[in-house]
Amino acid sequence: MTETDARPSVTSDPRGYWAALTGAERGVAAFVAAMLVLLLWGLVSGGLGPTYFMYLVGLVGMYILLSFGLNVQWGYAGLINFSVAAFFGLGAYGTALLTATSSPLTGGMDPILGFFPVPIVGIFVGLGLAAVLAVVIGIPTLRLRADYLAIASLGLAEVVRLVMLNQRDWTNGSAGLRGIPGFFDVWPVIGDLPQTLPELRFQELEVGLPGVWTTRILGFTIGESFWSQTMNVLLVTVFVAVTYLVLRRVHQSPWGRVLRTIRSDEDLAEALGKDTYSLKMQSFVLGSVIMALAGVFYAHLNLFVSPGDLNPINTFYVWIAVILGGSGSNRGAMFGGFVIIAIQEGTRFIGGALPESLPIDMPSFLGFVESTYTTVVDNFASTRLLAVGIIIILVMRYRPEGVLPPQRELIWPSAARTADVSGGVVTGSQVDDSPGPDDEGQRAHDGVEDTVHDADDATDDVESTGGTDAADGNQPDGGTDATDGADANAGDDATRGGDDDE
Amino acid sequence: MSETTQKLRDGPNLDKENVVLEVDTLRKTFGGLVATNDASFQVEKGTITGLIGPNGAGKSTLFNLITGFYEEDSGRVTVNGVDVTDAEPHEVAEEGLIRTFQTPRKLEGMTVREAMLVGAQDQIGESFVSLFTRPGEVAEQERKTLEDAHRILEEFEIGHLAAQSATDLSGGQMKLVELARAMLAEPEVLLLDEPVAGVNPTLANKLRDQIARLNEQGVTFCIIEHDMDFIMNLADPIIVLDQGSVLVEGPPDAVRNDDRVIDAYLGGPGE
Repeated sequence: MTETDARPSVTSDPRGYWAALTGAERGVAAFVAAMLVLLLWGLVSGGLGPTYFMYLVGLVGMYILLSFGLNVQWGYAGLINFSVAAFFGLGAYGTALLTATSSPLTGGMDPILGFFPVPIVGIFVGLGLAAVLAVVIGIPTLRLRADYLAIASLGLAEVVRLVMLNQRDWTNGSAGLRGIPGFFDVWPVIGDLPQTLPELRFQELEVGLPGVWTTRILGFTIGESFWSQTMNVLLVTVFVAVTYLVLRRVHQSPWGRVLRTIRSDEDLAEALGKDTYSLKMQSFVLGSVIMALAGVFYAHLNLFVSPGDLNPINTFYVWIAVILGGSGSNRGAMFGGFVIIAIQEGTRFIGGALPESLPIDMPSFLGFVESTYTTVVDNFASTRLLAVGIIIILVMRYRPEGVLPPQRELIWPSAARTADVSGGVVTGSQVDDSPGPDDEGQRAHDGVEDTVHDADDATDDVESTGGTDAADGNQPDGGTDATDGADANAGDDATRGGDDDE
Repeated sequence: MSETTQKLRDGPNLDKENVVLEVDTLRKTFGGLVATNDASFQVEKGTITGLIGPNGAGKSTLFNLITGFYEEDSGRVTVNGVDVTDAEPHEVAEEGLIRTFQTPRKLEGMTVREAMLVGAQDQIGESFVSLFTRPGEVAEQERKTLEDAHRILEEFEIGHLAAQSATDLSGGQMKLVELARAMLAEPEVLLLDEPVAGVNPTLANKLRDQIARLNEQGVTFCIIEHDMDFIMNLADPIIVLDQGSVLVEGPPDAVRNDDRVIDAYLGGPGE
């Protein structure tokens, strides 16, 4: 069958694992590795404070959640939702209104019954608000063609933002809500953890070859703020992991399959007896709730929310993440979320890292070069939109399906594995053998050539074996290995942007 | 009435026994244009009923009305005695009336096998909640469906296409897959809209053999087709539509030689 047949495990056979990856997967892995090296260097050299580093990791997690949400709507069902920021904002305001000390509604609630932390209620309030709004906007638009939802959601985003801005009695208007506690602040025991954890002091070191080149590294202190950011990272890791597991289960199932059919041809889905309105609604609400979860996390990460967080640009960042990563692919959404933060923060740091004036003395008639350079460096942060624009154009031109397009057949994995199908169960090579819908090795679909290749392989199989259980011999190995890689990554690497495998 | 079905009759034969699909005075207008003009006909269980007529006779409109894609102005549609007149398309499908489309619908990003699986009805796994509460049942049903899908593909002699991308198929292969997928839905009646339009003669013959085979297994068909050779060799009875209503109905030979039918096709006197 395909070369991914018995997919090597990343732990036992790293070289074989690398060889089995598609070109795009290698590129992504290399990119993520390079970013991590850069980040580590920034951390070690003191250019990037450890607390801020953890904050960034939290933001990556938040963008991954947002991308997951939009991916459920656009990637799975083809629903065009331009109000990502609104659902995100509802999540953020939902929990903030309940917990913030400056909240005009509650003035910051004490733990219920003296111990039950309010942020947990905040999750349900935020998610509930988003779900209700999703249903309300879905009822009139989801029966119509896709464009109506797009237009309505574009308006909805503005409506929600303007309500937050102008409904001062409820939301403090443009002043925003301050004094939101960290998610764990009010928890018994856990809430005191950042204070009780030890303070670690890293002495400044001078490294390098004395006399030739030296630089100073470390020289920072890890203290309370770092520990509380670390707890935020743990929190978002849990959010991402849970969401990912839920999505993985529902996507590779009859449910996910019908959604993909709807995305492709809604009339056909109807003709085959599928209640497309109901399924679109489910996908829309699910996606919106995930976006609101990102909002809840953001409120407790940033400790301040304002109507500015609902600006439309945030919606489009998420769209870019999903399109860049590959619509319909969860790990694509992870990668996209990671790239967005890399661009947003990278442009900030590169601007600071570059010399302020051109290091070469130019002859006077080339003065414009120098002045252009200074202008660009001074305003480097504002090149991020340019960078985003260029990336989108390049992706659309050279890889319209996204960097990591979906590669799996949407078939319940355990069923695909056990089905007794003549000609060899091709899914056997793509599916692992853990219970329930789980990870699988990938189909070698990576563009058209591979699709054709796949078909050829299948044909070969039929011809060469013709037997019933042709592929069975290979299945357990390939499957198990895929799972190993997957499970390790799903939990640990989720916040890093799912660098190698789902 | 004493007339036998061997003869051609004016208008539809509405005295069939064992009617599975009944269309009663369906009417649909688009602005001033009467697309379907009080059309009535019946499809008897176990038959292959051909639906022919010149361009613009209202065949496809009729299909869209029956399957719920269009709202009718008046009239009634029943499947096995169940009124599906105002039903949504998916509700009509649930009553066992499955249709195909004139231009095959390609499913982007799906393999043939995945595209097949969508045809299965009453899937537990299509309920979001069941995916979490009843995973074992979902797996069991999915396994059975997958095996059925492969079996049906084999019966259609396109088993080798199972893992191929659904968008890479030729038009003829796509028609075969559509038919195969419809079978996975275990329909009471299968409405085929021009199954051999744009299909090469070899594949067309294959399609005809398949339809005949399925019919022998008890599937009822109602087929719109412009290819006269194809439909005349396959269907009995043939219903001729003209200007939105049923002109005549009868066996292929009688229809073929009827002056009114020829006039309708060639734009003769008519009305």
